[in-house]
Amino acid sequence: MSQDLQAVSATPGGAAGSDVDTTSLAKLIDTSTCIGCKACEAACQEWNDHPVTLAPFDGTYQSQPDLSHSFWNLIKFNETEIDGAPAWLMSKYQCMHCIDPGCLRSCPAPGAIVQHANGIVDFVPEQCIGCGYCMTGCPFDVPKFDPYTKKVYKCTLCTDRVSVGLEPACIKACPTSCLTFGARDELIQIAEERAETLREDGFQAAGVYNPAGVGGTQVLYVLRHADQPEAYGLPADPQIPWTVTLWKGPLKWLGNLVFVGGVLGAFLHYVRYGPQAEEAPEDARDGE
Amino acid sequence: MASDGRVTRFNAAERIVHWVVALAFGYAALTGLALWSPRLFWLAAVFGGGTTARAWHPWGGVVFTAALAVMFLKWARAMRIDADDRTWLARAHRYAVHDHAGLPEPGRFNAGQKALFWLQSAAAALLLASGVVLWLPESMPRALREASILIHPLAAVASIGGIILHVYMGTAAVPKALRGMIQGWVTPRWAALHHPKWYREIRK
Repeated sequence: MSQDLQAVSATPGGAAGSDVDTTSLAKLIDTSTCIGCKACEAACQEWNDHPVTLAPFDGTYQSQPDLSHSFWNLIKFNETEIDGAPAWLMSKYQCMHCIDPGCLRSCPAPGAIVQHANGIVDFVPEQCIGCGYCMTGCPFDVPKFDPYTKKVYKCTLCTDRVSVGLEPACIKACPTSCLTFGARDELIQIAEERAETLREDGFQAAGVYNPAGVGGTQVLYVLRHADQPEAYGLPADPQIPWTVTLWKGPLKWLGNLVFVGGVLGAFLHYVRYGPQAEEAPEDARDGE
Repeated sequence: MASDGRVTRFNAAERIVHWVVALAFGYAALTGLALWSPRLFWLAAVFGGGTTARAWHPWGGVVFTAALAVMFLKWARAMRIDADDRTWLARAHRYAVHDHAGLPEPGRFNAGQKALFWLQSAAAALLLASGVVLWLPESMPRALREASILIHPLAAVASIGGIILHVYMGTAAVPKALRGMIQGWVTPRWAALHHPKWYREIRK
């Protein structure tokens, strides 16, 4: 593993280089300027060499019902009513590149999920064993199983482009600059300023989506209705499932106690007390 | 009871079922432990690598639960826990230090074996139910997956813990018990000591 990793799945003790201070990168999605053109979808498919996937028209402006193993970037469309006014909500959906990624935490295969020092969370198909635990660990339902390769895939935040100084494909394609890419600290500041402008414009509930339940995310949103992220298809309070946390924490210790204690206990019992008697004494025999 | 001084402890069908359960359990347990902890992931390499272990572990589980179901049908009646068994279990610590005074006489199975049987049966039911969910995560609802990701290892810990004790009892702790499960017979005096109530019954 190179030294630009800060966390590796199923690898306790962190990664080499995890103490290196590297700028954390992020993607900012300003939904208030998204026109739903889906250029980012096309760019993502093209850059990652994914096939064209057609879905039947079901009366919405959404191109696919959901993300898939070969469709990593989806513009969700929701036509609804907010505060008595009609709302056409377009929002880009993809891996959130969490600061505390539930996929990485729940992955049992060493090295199958890595978090780069710049914060990008990436899957390594060569190490993936296809268990699908990441799909349960992720509170955003992002990783998707490929029935053909029997492995799980998701957005890489174009780590291959970023590592050579290019911006992700979706950012590159966005015609309204509703997508921006850069240092996370700066983007949070820009997002807050943008939300402030929206509030001045009358969208009192405008704000930044950067959910604390997963330690914050490296995909940030500006929402006109930040009090209702569900309307955009975003979970209101995403958390790594408590069952995953319990399994990876206290249960592991309980299990180790049972396994090691059981074997050690049996051994010590044998040393201290020895085996049971083998047979009844002669006179108890056969009952004559 | 045979005339050659051998008491049939387990007939061939029982032995075969027992060892199919045991082998499948061993396979599922070891491949499962590979996914339990990164420190044990080397076990996956022993069984053909992580992808292979992931692909075949569920089938090991299927064989295990199917064979255990047969075992269950064969033994469930004999495994019923009665008042004597409850007394025996309450005094199991005395049995552990070879103080058999005041312990009710065991029948074909002692209370410890019966407790193990019910523990394994309950654990297997949980392992199967949660295992199917973990097997096909892409077609299972989130609530089931979140529950199964905890229930599966929890049931496995209980099950493996029971089996550690069972293997110790069946090999080192009770001499010649293993022969009863491999060759199928024990001596009359072995039966008279370890399962006196059963021995009296079959001697009739």
